[in-house]
Amino acid sequence: MSALKVHNLYRYFGPLKAVNGVDFEIPHGSVCGFVGANGAGKTTTMRILATLDYPTLGSAEVCGHDVVQQPAEVRRLIGWMPDHFGNYEHMTVLEYLDFYARALGYKGQERRQRVEEVMEFTDLVPLAERFSNKLSKGMTQRLGLGRALLHDPQVLIMDEPAAGLDPKARVELKHLIRVLAQEGKTIFISSHILSELGEMCDSLLFINNGRIVHHGDAESLKRGTDGVGGSLFDVQVDGDPQAVSDWCVLQPNVEFVEARKHGGRIRIPGDDPAAAADLLSRMVREGLRVIEFHREQRNLEDAFIDILGRIDAGLDPVAPPPLPPQIPAAAPPANQEPT
Amino acid sequence: MPVTVPADFSDRVSPVLVKELRQGLRAKTFIALFLGLQIFLAVMLLSAGASSGSSQAGSTISGTIFLFFSIAVLLIQPLRGINALAGEVKDRTIEMMVLTRLTAWRIVFGKWIAIVGQSALLFATIIPYLILRYFFGGMNLFGELMFLLLLFLTSMALTAVTIGLSGSNSVIIRGLLPILGLPVGLWMMMMLTFARRMGGGGDLMEAVSLSTKESRIGVGVFVLAITYLGGSMLSLGASMIAPAAENHTLIRRLVALVLMIAALAAGLFGDYEEELQLLFVFVIAVPALVTAFVEYVPLVDIVRRPFHRLGPAGKVLGWFFYPCWPSGLLFGVAFTALSLLALAFHNDASSYHRWDEEEWTVILGMFGALMFPAVWQAFLFRGEDQRLGHYLLLLVGSFILLGILTALSDAMNSSSFLWGFAWHPLAYVAMLEEGDFSDSLLLTGVILCDVVIAGILLFRALAGLLSAERALDAAANPGSDS
Repeated sequence: MSALKVHNLYRYFGPLKAVNGVDFEIPHGSVCGFVGANGAGKTTTMRILATLDYPTLGSAEVCGHDVVQQPAEVRRLIGWMPDHFGNYEHMTVLEYLDFYARALGYKGQERRQRVEEVMEFTDLVPLAERFSNKLSKGMTQRLGLGRALLHDPQVLIMDEPAAGLDPKARVELKHLIRVLAQEGKTIFISSHILSELGEMCDSLLFINNGRIVHHGDAESLKRGTDGVGGSLFDVQVDGDPQAVSDWCVLQPNVEFVEARKHGGRIRIPGDDPAAAADLLSRMVREGLRVIEFHREQRNLEDAFIDILGRIDAGLDPVAPPPLPPQIPAAAPPANQEPT
Repeated sequence: MPVTVPADFSDRVSPVLVKELRQGLRAKTFIALFLGLQIFLAVMLLSAGASSGSSQAGSTISGTIFLFFSIAVLLIQPLRGINALAGEVKDRTIEMMVLTRLTAWRIVFGKWIAIVGQSALLFATIIPYLILRYFFGGMNLFGELMFLLLLFLTSMALTAVTIGLSGSNSVIIRGLLPILGLPVGLWMMMMLTFARRMGGGGDLMEAVSLSTKESRIGVGVFVLAITYLGGSMLSLGASMIAPAAENHTLIRRLVALVLMIAALAAGLFGDYEEELQLLFVFVIAVPALVTAFVEYVPLVDIVRRPFHRLGPAGKVLGWFFYPCWPSGLLFGVAFTALSLLALAFHNDASSYHRWDEEEWTVILGMFGALMFPAVWQAFLFRGEDQRLGHYLLLLVGSFILLGILTALSDAMNSSSFLWGFAWHPLAYVAMLEEGDFSDSLLLTGVILCDVVIAGILLFRALAGLLSAERALDAAANPGSDS
């Protein structure tokens, strides 16, 4: 049984198709990143999984429990951390967690113990008496994480938890997420900072215009072994850096990706080392004064942009890799089109 | 560093109450109100003590205590509830509460009881001043205590109104209507209940002292009315923050239905004035109709399933009790018909005065005015989550229109131009004033107008329900063509 299973999920807001036939499964104990542009459907999908919204069509399950039919069971299993949330006036950090612990049904000594554990885990002990609406963004996110962990959920759903955090707070949050992943929790996390997701996640889901366009692990995507993107090289030359882009224009199958201070970043199709050697040899032969030529690993931003580019060009974004099992996205039959 | 968890209030108390009291008792508004009231009453009592020779000192002290206590508990305390739910919705903290074991009803109830608890604290602190006031003489002890109790009960109901309305995301509703509506509503409710019983030279303390049968009936009706109003509004607030899968509508409509059937039965078998029956019917009908016409939650499968399990009869029942707008329209039209029956049957059974054509025109005009905004919303309205604010504004606008039309026809000494407004039921009420047309003509006109309005609402309700059912059937059976 998967920790999260979404099948043929649609969510329409009037004419807006926020989620448009999403399918995916996430196994227990894995960390899955959810990637997409603003308005792609990430938050709506996550809110449906958290029982805070409902699908127009289709189903979503958490550990086998349907989010619409069994919301109470689902809520016991998940911890939800939204991208931003307000805190209460006139209420300290300790009282804030104490309130949610009460609301979750903890009583007496058990409640005190649970609040203590969570405060220690999220390093909130020094802030216990601070008013919760006077915290910095990083502290607020730690408080939010603490609240989400109070009932020791099996699945954590985190919507942009790192948004607006300074580097130090991001490192702290990343550390907490790693520890939680080591404890075996299933974590479904969205973020715009793809490099961080790549480090943390076992798999990545890419969503665009309400549809899943790719589900795969980060490393294969970065290496380009999924068959898209090709190989990237950083080329630096002595003299006018414009020479690199001018040279690329005249070459078949060589794409100038971006200009850099002493040259640029270029791309060739495939992953063949011989092709890279040939490329360098041609450059030197044709008069470019190359002082630096090295292969660059594709980062996740490249992969994401590639996928979106292929969609815009009307091509298949990328064939889904075998890990994890994937159900192909389906368009709704004409007679099921929600109104 | 060791963590010190504060001592429990009690694990038996609602978590929301604990939270709200922690926050509320630290709020500047409450602290200022509490201290201000104490300082003012102490100064006032000392001043009265200095002039204790005056025979009016006692009643002056009573009047002043009641005035400032009324302002505190009938205005300031209820208004503190205006942002109770909207603030949680805006900050998205409501979502995190909904994910705990707290139900929407417990959240709303906890917020209400917390403000009521603080009002009770204010109530308790004025008791010593009343005891001191006793020594100034001329005190109707029981009457004044009853009056204070009724003030407190009214404060509870008004707090429920503001908490209920605070679920609306319309700033106008949350801000303007309670400020304007609270004093007007309160005045109307008090006058309707007590005015006739007080007589020309009557005394309010006498009217609430329970010393006569009429006083007991008046107080009883008032308490029932504000209890029902408060309950309805808290239920409305719970509906607004509840997930679509929770049906808060069922209980609310069932309670209204039971009360209206009781009023119908009382009218049939009881022997009391027709104005009292009118009061019963309106007090029950207005909250029930308003809350039915402003539903905005979409119908989801989990809500209709219990009804469908009861077979075809259950499906029909569901159409009246689903927590969605089309169902609200259907229920609203049916409930209006039942309300009119409760008035008509009382008319037939009672030995008191019978409704004449003019009175029926007014009654039908009022019920038509309650339905009219829903017709408007059926065609010219898209913002579903603003439905409550929109409805109330249209309703208030209708009555303002009535006032303007009446004034115009007075100024022109003619009401013929009002036929241009014959699409609105209140136009017939305005036409009554000038007496240019026969009562039977106006009654026929308002009946036709109401029937057209009800017909439109029924059509819209049935179309909406069929469409929603079809969509849910299609979702439940993806393979079928139905």
